[in-house]
Amino acid sequence: MTGTLHLNWWLLAPEYILCAYAALLVLIDLFSNRAQKEMLGYVAAGGCALSAAVSLIWVDDKKDFANLIDVDNYTTLFRVFFAGIGFFACIASARYVKDRLLHAGEYYALILLAVVGANGMAAARELLTAYISLELLSFSLYVLTSYAKFDLRSNEGGLKYMLLGAFSSAIFLYGVSLVYGATGSTEFAAIGDKLAGGTGGIREGLFLGLSLMIAGLGFKVAAVPFHMWTPDAYEGAPLPVTAYISAISKSAGFALFLKLFTESFLPLIDDWRYFIAALSAATMALGNFVAIQQHNIKRLLAYSSIGQVGYLLMGIAALSPAAGSALVLHMVGYAATNLAAFVCIIIFYNWTGKEEIKDFAGLAERAPFLALSLSIALFSLAGMPLFAGFATKFILFQSAADQGLLWLAGVAVFFSFVSLYYYLIVIKEMYLEKPDEARRFPIPWREYAAVAVLIGAVFLVGLYPRPVYDLVESSTNVVFQQAPGGQQAAAQR
Amino acid sequence: MIPIDRFLVLSTILFSLVMYGVLARRSAVLILMSVELMLQAVSINFIAFAVYLSPQRFTGMIFAIFVITIAAAEVGLALAIILRMYRNRATANVDEADTMKW
Repeated sequence: MTGTLHLNWWLLAPEYILCAYAALLVLIDLFSNRAQKEMLGYVAAGGCALSAAVSLIWVDDKKDFANLIDVDNYTTLFRVFFAGIGFFACIASARYVKDRLLHAGEYYALILLAVVGANGMAAARELLTAYISLELLSFSLYVLTSYAKFDLRSNEGGLKYMLLGAFSSAIFLYGVSLVYGATGSTEFAAIGDKLAGGTGGIREGLFLGLSLMIAGLGFKVAAVPFHMWTPDAYEGAPLPVTAYISAISKSAGFALFLKLFTESFLPLIDDWRYFIAALSAATMALGNFVAIQQHNIKRLLAYSSIGQVGYLLMGIAALSPAAGSALVLHMVGYAATNLAAFVCIIIFYNWTGKEEIKDFAGLAERAPFLALSLSIALFSLAGMPLFAGFATKFILFQSAADQGLLWLAGVAVFFSFVSLYYYLIVIKEMYLEKPDEARRFPIPWREYAAVAVLIGAVFLVGLYPRPVYDLVESSTNVVFQQAPGGQQAAAQR
Repeated sequence: MIPIDRFLVLSTILFSLVMYGVLARRSAVLILMSVELMLQAVSINFIAFAVYLSPQRFTGMIFAIFVITIAAAEVGLALAIILRMYRNRATANVDEADTMKW
C-alpha cells in the first residue's frame, strides 16, 4: 500500500446517481397523490437506466478509488447488470406497489440503494468495503421483504431473513477477522500474495477463517445447508421483491464470491475445491428434489433458484478463467430468465391475486402471450435447447468437466432433468387444464414490453451467446489477471 | 504485554457461547442480542490482531469501528421488524412464527 490515495470521487458517479434518485423518489412521493404513485416506478427505472449509461464511461478502463474500489471492466459489467435488474424490478413493481403497498417512495428508494450495495460488492477490492456493501444490500432487502406491513407472511419472512442474515454476517465477519489475523491484510491482492508465498504457521487459523467465510457467503447466496431462509423469505415477500431478491442477492453474492476467491484464495484451491464441490452437489440435490412437491409458485421458484445456486457453485469449484466466465454468463442468463418468469407471474397476480400453481389452469386461453412467455422462461430454467439455460449450462458444465469435475457435471445434468419435471407441471396447468372462467385478461402494455425484452434476451443468449460471452470474458479476465501469479498461473490450471 | 492467545481464547469462548444463544433462544429479541454479542467477539479479534500484527496501521481498528456502527444500524432495523411481528401476532417468539413450512 502506498501513501497516496487516489480520491477520484468522479469514479463513483453511477452510485451517486442512484442515491440522488433514491432521495428524489422519497421527496416526489411526499408531494404526489395516490393516482400518481405508479409514475414513481418509472422514475426509479429511469434512475437505473441513467446509472447504467454513466457507468459505460469506464469501459476498458482500469482505475481504483483510494485502494478500496476497483473501476474496471468487471465493475462496469456488474454495474450495468445490477442496474438492469433494478430497472426491470421497478417496471414490474409499478402497478403492484400502487395497488397493494403503502409508502411507494421508500420502496423504490430501497430498491435503488440495494443496487448501490450490489455494485459495491462487485467493485470492492478489500474486505471492509465488501462487508459494508454486503450489509447495505442485505438491509435494504430485509426491509423490502417485510414491506407488506399487515401481511403476516411478510412479517414472518422478513423476520426469518433478517435474523438468519445477521447471524450469517456475524459468522462471515469472524472468518474475516481470522483471515486478517493470519495474513495481516484485508486487501484481496495482499492476501493473495501472502498465501502464494506459503501458508506455513498460519494454516489452522486460516482454514477456520476460510470455512467461516464460505459459510457466511453460502448464506447470502442460499447454498445448502445454509438455505433455510430462502423459501420463507421468497414466499413472504411481496412478489416484485421476490423477483428482485432472486436476481440481485444471488448475483451480487456470486460477484463477490468469484472476485474474492480468485484474487485471494486461488493459491489454496486444492484445499477448498472439494468442499465447494460437495456444497454444490448437495445444493442441486435438495433444491431440485424439494421443488417437486411445492404447490405455491413463489416457493417453487425459491427451490428452483436454490438448485440454480448449485450449478453456479460449480463455477467456483472449478475456478479457472473459463469457469469464471461461464459462471458469470450463467448468472446473466439465469437473472434474465428468472426475471421474465417473475414479471409474468406478477402480471398474473395483479389481475387475480392468486399465486398457487393450480390457479394457473387454462392461462393459455385467457392470456396466450403470458402463458407462452412463462413457458419459455420455465423451459430456459430447465435448460432446454434454444433458450439461454441450455447454452449457459452447457458452457458451465463443460468448463467444470475440464477442471476434473466430470462427476459434478454429471450430477448437474441429472438434476437438470429432474427440474424439467416440476417446470412441466406448471406448463401442463397452463396449457392442458380448463380455466375457471373464460374471460380474457386485459393487456398491460408496459409490463408486456418488459417481458418481451427479457424473452428476447433469453433467446439471444440461447441462440447466439458469442457476443455476450466475449463481453463477460473481457470482464472476468481483469479479475484473473489480478490473481496471484497473474494470467500465467491461472492459464496453467 | 499480554500474549495474543488470551484475547483469541476470550473471543472464541464468547463467540461459541452466543452462537449457542442464537440457536437455543426462542425470543427474537434475545436472538438479536446474541447476534450483537457475536459481533463484539469479532471486534475483540480485530483489535487484538491490529495491535499485535501491525501497530503502525489501523486496518483492524477501523474495521472494528465499522462493525460497531453497522451493528447499531442492525439493531434499529431488526427491532422494527420484530415490533411489526409483535403488533400483528402479539408474540415475538420465533418458534410461533410458523405459517410457512417447507
